[in-house]
Amino acid sequence: MGENAKSGTASGSFKKLLKSPRLWILIVTIAVLSVLQPGVFLTRANMISILLSISIYGIMVCGTIFPILLGGIDLSVGAVAAAAGAACVVTIVNHDFSNPSVLTGVLFGLGIGLLVGLAHGIIVSTFSVPPFLITLASQYIVYGIAQLLTQNNVIACMKPATFAFLGGGRPFGIPFSIIIMAVMALISYFILNRTVFGRTVYAVGGNVEASRLSGVRSRMVIIVCYMFSGLTSALAGIVLASMNRQAIAKAAQGYDNFVLTALVVGGASLMGGEGNITGAIWGAFLVGMVSNGLRLLGIASEYHGIFKCIVIVAAVSLDATMRYRKSGLQRRRRRKVSVS
Amino acid sequence: MKMLCRSGRGVRKLSEYLLEMKGIMKSFNDNPVLKNVDFDVKPGEVHALMGENGAGKSTLIKILTGIYPKDGGEIFFDGQSVEINNKNDASKLGISCIYQELSLIPTLTVTQNIMLGKEKRIGGFLNKGKMRKEVVELINRYGFHLNPDANVESLTIGQRQTVEILKALSEQSRLIIMDEPTASLSSKESDALFEIIGNLRNNGVSVIYISHRLEEVYRLADRLTVLRDGVREAVLEKDEIVPAEVVRLMIGKELKHSSQSNEFRVSDQPVSLEVKNLTRKGVFHDISFQAHRGEILGFAGLVGAGRTEIVRCIYGADPYDSGQIFFEGKEIKPSIPANIERGFGLVPEDRRGQGFTPLLSIERNVALTNYDTLARNGVVNAGAERRLGNEMVEKLSIRPFDSQIPVGNLSGGNQQKAVVAKWLSRDMKVMIIDEPTAGIDIGAKDEIYRILEDFASRGTTVLLVSSDIQEIMKVSHRILVVTKGAIFKEFSNGRITEEDLMMAEFGIDEEEAEKNG
Amino acid sequence: MDESPSPVPVITEVALIMKLRQESMRRLISIILLAVMMLIFSLTNSAFFTVSNLLKVLREASLSGIIAVGVTFVIITAGIDLSTGAIVGFCGMVCANLLYYYNLPWQEIFLISIAVGTACGILNGFIVTKLRVPEFIATLSTQYLYRSMVFVFAIRENNVITNKKIESYPVLILGGSINGFYLVSMAFILFAVIGQILLKSTRFGTYVYATGANRKSAELSGINVDWVRWRVFIITGFLCGIAALFQMGRIGSVTTDMGTGLEFDVIAAVVVGGCAFSGGRGDVFGSVIGAIFMAVLQNGILKYNFPTAVQLIMKGVVIVIMVIFDSIYNQYVQKKIQQAVQNEDAVQIRKGGAEVV
Repeated sequence: MGENAKSGTASGSFKKLLKSPRLWILIVTIAVLSVLQPGVFLTRANMISILLSISIYGIMVCGTIFPILLGGIDLSVGAVAAAAGAACVVTIVNHDFSNPSVLTGVLFGLGIGLLVGLAHGIIVSTFSVPPFLITLASQYIVYGIAQLLTQNNVIACMKPATFAFLGGGRPFGIPFSIIIMAVMALISYFILNRTVFGRTVYAVGGNVEASRLSGVRSRMVIIVCYMFSGLTSALAGIVLASMNRQAIAKAAQGYDNFVLTALVVGGASLMGGEGNITGAIWGAFLVGMVSNGLRLLGIASEYHGIFKCIVIVAAVSLDATMRYRKSGLQRRRRRKVSVS
Repeated sequence: MKMLCRSGRGVRKLSEYLLEMKGIMKSFNDNPVLKNVDFDVKPGEVHALMGENGAGKSTLIKILTGIYPKDGGEIFFDGQSVEINNKNDASKLGISCIYQELSLIPTLTVTQNIMLGKEKRIGGFLNKGKMRKEVVELINRYGFHLNPDANVESLTIGQRQTVEILKALSEQSRLIIMDEPTASLSSKESDALFEIIGNLRNNGVSVIYISHRLEEVYRLADRLTVLRDGVREAVLEKDEIVPAEVVRLMIGKELKHSSQSNEFRVSDQPVSLEVKNLTRKGVFHDISFQAHRGEILGFAGLVGAGRTEIVRCIYGADPYDSGQIFFEGKEIKPSIPANIERGFGLVPEDRRGQGFTPLLSIERNVALTNYDTLARNGVVNAGAERRLGNEMVEKLSIRPFDSQIPVGNLSGGNQQKAVVAKWLSRDMKVMIIDEPTAGIDIGAKDEIYRILEDFASRGTTVLLVSSDIQEIMKVSHRILVVTKGAIFKEFSNGRITEEDLMMAEFGIDEEEAEKNG
Repeated sequence: MDESPSPVPVITEVALIMKLRQESMRRLISIILLAVMMLIFSLTNSAFFTVSNLLKVLREASLSGIIAVGVTFVIITAGIDLSTGAIVGFCGMVCANLLYYYNLPWQEIFLISIAVGTACGILNGFIVTKLRVPEFIATLSTQYLYRSMVFVFAIRENNVITNKKIESYPVLILGGSINGFYLVSMAFILFAVIGQILLKSTRFGTYVYATGANRKSAELSGINVDWVRWRVFIITGFLCGIAALFQMGRIGSVTTDMGTGLEFDVIAAVVVGGCAFSGGRGDVFGSVIGAIFMAVLQNGILKYNFPTAVQLIMKGVVIVIMVIFDSIYNQYVQKKIQQAVQNEDAVQIRKGGAEVV
C-alpha cells in the first residue's frame, strides 16, 4: 500500500499516511506497551534494543519476500543463516583471525546462501513440487552442513575488529546491523519498485502463463528470487554470528517462523503477487516490538509461539475469508436472481 | 430441492414428449439470448441441437440443468410442469449432463466412481462385491465394454466418457445431455460412443446431442432442432436432415446473398511469414502457408479444429514436432522472447488465464511487454511507464479512465483492450490474435476491428483466429479454413458468402453440397 | 468395438498384469529401494542383519510410523501436517506434569494424552476448514503454538526447567518388549492394519481419496469435503497422543524438545512410501514401508559411525529426491495416458481400460 501512495503533493501523501491503518496499529501498540511498562518500554535504549533484535529478521525479510511474491515460500532461512555464519566464522578462525580472511569468510558464507537458493530455484522451477516441502527438506540438509562446519561446537570468534564491526559496530551511534538492514530494505525496495526485474516478479507471481506469453523468462525470475532469499539469509546469519561473536549450528533456529510471521502480518499474500517491502519491514517491526513488550512483561520468548500462531492464523484467515466472501457474494447475488 | 410440481395446472394428457420447453426467454444485460424458444425431446430419441456460436444452445442447456435461471417460459418433464433451480433439481428429475471437462476422480476405480456418494455398506464396511455386481449389471445392461476395476486415470478420454454416462445412468437418468462429446475423441472412440448412444436409445433413454460435426448428427439424430440468434429456426425429422440444408438453416436463408465477405485476394506485398509442413503429433499436421505484410489472414474453423494450437506454435509458446517457420526469409526457432524482439505479438484465446495478470494495474500489464523501451539498464522509467499506460487508456478508451486499476476488476471488453494494448505501441511485424471478441460488447468489438485494420495498414501481418463467421469474413483479407488439424480450404479470391465459409468449416466440399442441396 | 460384445466384461490376463503394474509400480519401487539398501547394509556390516537389530530397526520405525498412518490420510486429501512433532511434545509434557504434580493413575494419563492429541487435531482441522488457512501454514503456526505449550507445562524448580523421571510403571512398560518384540512395534502394526482397512474398505476412505484427487467433483458427488479434511487431522492428532505415550515409556522422562523434528521423519516416511503431495494417491501400507526405509537408513548410518549431521543431510536428500522423483513419475504416467489416447490403434478400446503404464 505504501508504494501506491506516490501521487499527489507532500501534504496529500501525508494525509494518506495518516489514513494508513498500519500507522495506527503501530501507534496503538506502542501506546499500549508504554502504558503497561511505564518508563521501561518507551526509552531510547529499549527502542535500540528492539531495532537490534529485529535487524536480523529485517535483513532476512528483505529477501524472503521474493519467493513469497512468486506464490512460493522459503522455509530454509534459519538454517541457511546458521550455515553461513558458521562458514564465515570457521574461515576466520582457520586463518588466524586475519583481516583478509574476514572478506573470504563473508564471501564464503554468502556463497553458501546463493548456492542453496540456486538449488531451490532450479528444483522449484523445473519440477512441479511444492516449494515449502523442498525448502523444508533443504532446511535439514543445510542445518546438517552447519553442524559439520562447527563440528557441533560453539566456535568463539572475538577477533578481528572488522568482523566484530559487522554486528557490533556503531558508526554515528547507530548499530551497524540496523544500517545493513536499512540498506537491504532500500535495495529490495529499489529492485521491487524501480526495476524491470521487480515488475516481472509481481507479474510471474500473479499469472505465470500470461507472463511467459509476454516474453518474461519466468524460470530465470524464479531462480533469481530464491537466490536472493538465500543471499539475505546468509547475510543475516553472518551479522548474527558477528553480533554473538560465535558460531553455533543452532544459531538461527526458529527465525523462519519470525520471518514468516512478519511477512504475513505485513500483508504479503501466500498466493503470490501481493505484498511489498514496506509492509514486510513494518511487519517485522511490529512483531519484534510485541515480542519485546511481552518479554518486558516477563513472558519468556518460549511462549511467543502462542502469539505468533494467533497472529499468522488471524492474518491468513482474514485474507482467505475476504477472498471467499468476494466470490460468495457473487454467488449469492446470482441465487437472488434465480429466486426472483 | 425447490422443485415444484404444480399438479393442478401441470398435469396434462399423457404427453408424447419426455421434455418440453415452451417459450423460454433469457437475456443477459438486456441482451436477449433466447427469444421465446420451444424445444422438446421424445422418450428414447437422440435429439440433436445445432446452431452457430452464440445462437443460444449452451444457454438453453444451462437453463435446463439449473445453472441459469430462465426469464420466462415453462419447462414440462414427463408432462408435468417443473421448476429447475439448481443442479440437484435437474438430477432429481433424471436430467444429467456430460461435460467436456470430466468430473471423475482419477485415482479411483470405475466402480468406485460410479458408486461415489451412494456406496453400499454392510456394518460400516464397504460392500465391494455388491457394488461391483451392480456396476457390472449396469455395464451389461447397456452393452458397454469396460473393466469395472480399472483406475479411471488409466482409461482413455472416450472410456472416461463412458464412465460418466454410466454414472448418470446409475442415477436413473432419463435424459442425458452431451455437449460436443467427440471433441477430444479419436475416430474409433467416436464410433464406440455412437454405439453407446444407440444402446441408450434402445433402452429408452433420451439424448440431447450438441455437436458441430454434421456427419455425426446426420448419422445419429432422430430429430434435429436448429437455433439461430436465440430463435428456434426449424425442427427436422430424420429424413429431412441434409447437411447443406442444415447449414442454410443455421445461417438463415434470407442472409444467403446479403452477407458477403470482403473482396479476397492474395496481397502483392512481400511475404513476411512462411510456414512449411508444421506438424504437432495428434494436434495438427502439414500446415503450410504464406502470410504477407499488411495482410489480415483469417483462420476459420470449428472449435477444436487446431487453429489456436497452430498459432501458438508459430508464436513459440508450444513446441512442434516437425516443419519449419520462416520470418522474412530466415528460419526461426521457437522462443517467445526472441520472437517478441522480432516484432511478434500474441493476444491469447484464454484471456483471464493467459492474457493478463489480474492483480496488476492496467499500466503494469501494458508495460510488461515494453520494458525494452521503458527501462534503461534494467531500471524502469516510471514516468514513461505511466505515460504509456495513460496513453493506452485514452487511445482505446479503456473504462474507467484510470491506468492504476487492476485489470482483474475491468469488464471483459476493457480487459481485452488492455491485453491488446500490450502490443499497440510496438513496431509489430506479426500480430497473432486469437478469438479477440469472444464475450465482449459491440462497442469494444468495433474498437478491436479498427485496431486490427490499423495494424495491417502499418504493414503488420495479422493472423486472426475467430469462430465468429461474420467477423472473420468482414475483417480478413484472406481466409484459411482449418478442419481436424489440417488446412482444408483457402479462400483467396473474390467474395464468398457465409454459407461458403460454413460449408468449408464443416468440411463439406461445395460441389458435392450443391448436388445434395 | 469391432468384436461381438461379450456379456460379462472379463478381466483379461493382460489387463490384470497391467493393473498390477499401474497400481503397484510405485510401491514396488519403494520396496526395491528398501531391499537394495538392506542388502548393502547386510553385506558391508555383520551387525546389521541380526534378529535383535532388525527388531530395533522396527522399533525405530514405529514411533514415526504410528503418526505416519494418520499423516498418510492427511496427504491423500492433498494436505500436510507439520505440527505432529510438537503435538507429541505437548501431550508428553502435559502427562509428565500431571504425573509429577498430581500423580494421576495411569488410566487417566493414557486418556489425557490421547485427549490432548485429539484436541490438537481438532484445532488443526478447524483452522484449515473453517478459517480457510492453507494446511501447511496452519499446521506450521500451530507447531509454534504447541511447542510453546510444552514450555507452559514444563516442570520447573526454582524457575528452572527440570526433567523429572517418570515413575508410573504402566507408562514405562510401554517402552518395553515381549521377547524382544517391542510393544510400540505391535501398536504400529495394529494401527497400520486398522488404517489400511479404514482407507480401503470404508466409505470414509473412499471419500479421502476423492477429496484429494478432485475436490470439486467430490463436492458435486455430495461429499462433505471439509468434514473429511477435518477428520483426517483428528485421526492424526489422536495417533500423536498414542505415540507420545510410547515415547514417554521409552525415554522415561519428558524434555522440552521431545518430538522436535519428528514431523519431518513422518513426512519422509509418507513421501518415500509413495503418497503424492498433489493428493489422491498412496496408502498406509506404502507409508509403513517408508517408515521402515527411513529407520533402516538411520540404523545403517549409525553403524558406520557417521556424525549425526550426516543423518540430517541424508534425510533431507532422500526427501528432496523422492519428491522430485514423484513429480517426474506422475508426469510420465500422465504423458503415457495422453499418448494412449492419441494412439488410435490402441487395443484398449476393445479391452476396456487398464492398458496404460
